Amino acid sequence: MLDVGRHPRINLLAYSEVENVSGDAGNFRVKVRKKARFVNEDLCTGCGTCAEKCPTMTVDVFNAELGSRKAIYKYFPQGIPSIYTIDKDACRQLGQGKKCGICAKVCQAKAVDFEQNDGEIQLHVGAIVVATGYDVFDPSVIPEHGYGRIANVVTALEFERLLSASGPTAGHLDRPSDMALEKEIDDLEKEHKKLSRQLKQLEEKHGKSSAQVMDLVKSGAAAADKDLHNWAASAERFGELEARLEPMRQKIGAAQPAKKLAFIQCVGSRDFRFNKFCSSYCCMHSVKEAMIANEHDNEVSSSIFCMDLRAVGRGFEEYKLRGGKQANIKYVRGRVAEITEDDALNPVVWFESTTSRQVLHETFDMVVLATACVPTAGTPKLAELLGIELDSNGFFKTDPLAPLNATRDGIFVCGCAQGPMDIPESVAQASSAAARAAEVVAPARQVAAAGSQ
Amino acid sequence: MNNDVLVIGGGIAGIQAALDLAEMGVQVHMVEKLPSIGGKMAQLDKTFPTNDCAI
Ligand SMILES: Cc1cc2nc3c(=O)[nH]c(=O)nc-3n(C[C@H](O)[C@H](O)[C@H](O)COP(=O)(O)OP(=O)(O)OC[C@H]3O[C@@H](n4cnc5c(N)ncnc54)[C@H](O)[C@@H]3O)c2cc1C
Repeated sequence: MLDVGRHPRINLLAYSEVENVSGDAGNFRVKVRKKARFVNEDLCTGCGTCAEKCPTMTVDVFNAELGSRKAIYKYFPQGIPSIYTIDKDACRQLGQGKKCGICAKVCQAKAVDFEQNDGEIQLHVGAIVVATGYDVFDPSVIPEHGYGRIANVVTALEFERLLSASGPTAGHLDRPSDMALEKEIDDLEKEHKKLSRQLKQLEEKHGKSSAQVMDLVKSGAAAADKDLHNWAASAERFGELEARLEPMRQKIGAAQPAKKLAFIQCVGSRDFRFNKFCSSYCCMHSVKEAMIANEHDNEVSSSIFCMDLRAVGRGFEEYKLRGGKQANIKYVRGRVAEITEDDALNPVVWFESTTSRQVLHETFDMVVLATACVPTAGTPKLAELLGIELDSNGFFKTDPLAPLNATRDGIFVCGCAQGPMDIPESVAQASSAAARAAEVVAPARQVAAAGSQ
Repeated sequence: MNNDVLVIGGGIAGIQAALDLAEMGVQVHMVEKLPSIGGKMAQLDKTFPTNDCAI
């Protein structure tokens, strides 16, 4: 990643999109829109003081929306280019028309520019490599799996962020229901603290206790004195908060990280309602996630629910067996019918075990959905701009005998833009696509070299 | 005729293609829609089959 940012022959246009393409192989004209970051790329040193001081929090998309970040942000700490961007919608000044500008004040490099506009760049290229990847299938369209309704049902990508030391839980398997409870306690405690301060001030100023004021109001003796009524209302809310917070604090004190995990395979793949195809890498990422969870805490056990576990790459079958032996993984052959939730917010998995021929249910601490690999939302539009076709699954179409070629000369496709594949295969395809693209531009380079002699 | 190449997408596939081309002496332009390159792989904790760190 770093090498791309540094390479003298790579012009990196991040936060940009292709807007128009014309011409043919050897001679494409491409219009690119560079979106306004509201930060001058040449001046920003990536020091992060702006984000430190920014008063506005918003959801962190990189952390699969499990955490929060500031309105001025770097997509992730190691992100390249190492430049900050203002999230226009979240920003007080740009999005909400309020006065703020703190980031601009603290930036020593004077890089913040609220007036920045989108830029337009014209490129002239001989060949195009499409490597736009994939989107994660949205499992909330399968109501029986409860995603979005049952807090402790997460996607595999969310689980990756929970496992990550740089993620929202610093690598601890905190359950989302407990994370939500903690946030609720935090919010209520803030309100509690504020009310406590206000009540104390009132008591000191007027030499009366809040309890006395509440009695006065209740007895009708406060009549139409608005201030006293407000005071009593605040005192009542304060009492309410005390009563609510106590059991919540006890509950969070007793909360345990997840130890019993279920992984559900083929969520949105090999399912005729959604996608017929196999997403190929999910069997292995579920084994991986179960293994890593067990490495963090050897009391973690996992059940992987699958129709069959497809371990077809080199070393994959051994990896699967190693997981089963060393990482407490049980492979259950059977499709999950439904996930429900018990009173302790534990997900309950209902499934048919095809080995024992029984319909069973089992309770887990957390359920991880292996969601399908689907074409990115922008795929149809990009296909139209490039004048290339899509296949029946909605990915960019390629020729089985020339597997990197799109349906138009001079355009090549690699990685998950073609369909589901893992990292080693994406990398192998990328090198092939690079070689094919080089073939297209090589004659031009020879002519150019001859011309300069 | 032009001898530059455009790579659309800066995930692991786009990064590999861009680096290979640049190493061959080709001028590359990489367009990435997000503020940083890295793609999905940057979001992964570790990767199978070696369990190496993703970034
Ligand atoms: C939970 C999970 C765990 C996984 N674990 C593993 C693992 O352990 N090992 C393994 O080998 N594989 C794993 N995979 C698969 C792996 O993520 C993919 O193989 C790999 O990321 C594909 O790389 P890519 O570059 O093709 O796509 P992506 O990573 O999706 O990158 C595409 C890039 O293109 C950008 N882009 C998209 N559209 C546009 C556009 N219109 N214009 C400009 N830019 C655009 C995107 O922002 C992104 O940066 C896992 C997948 C998941 C979901």
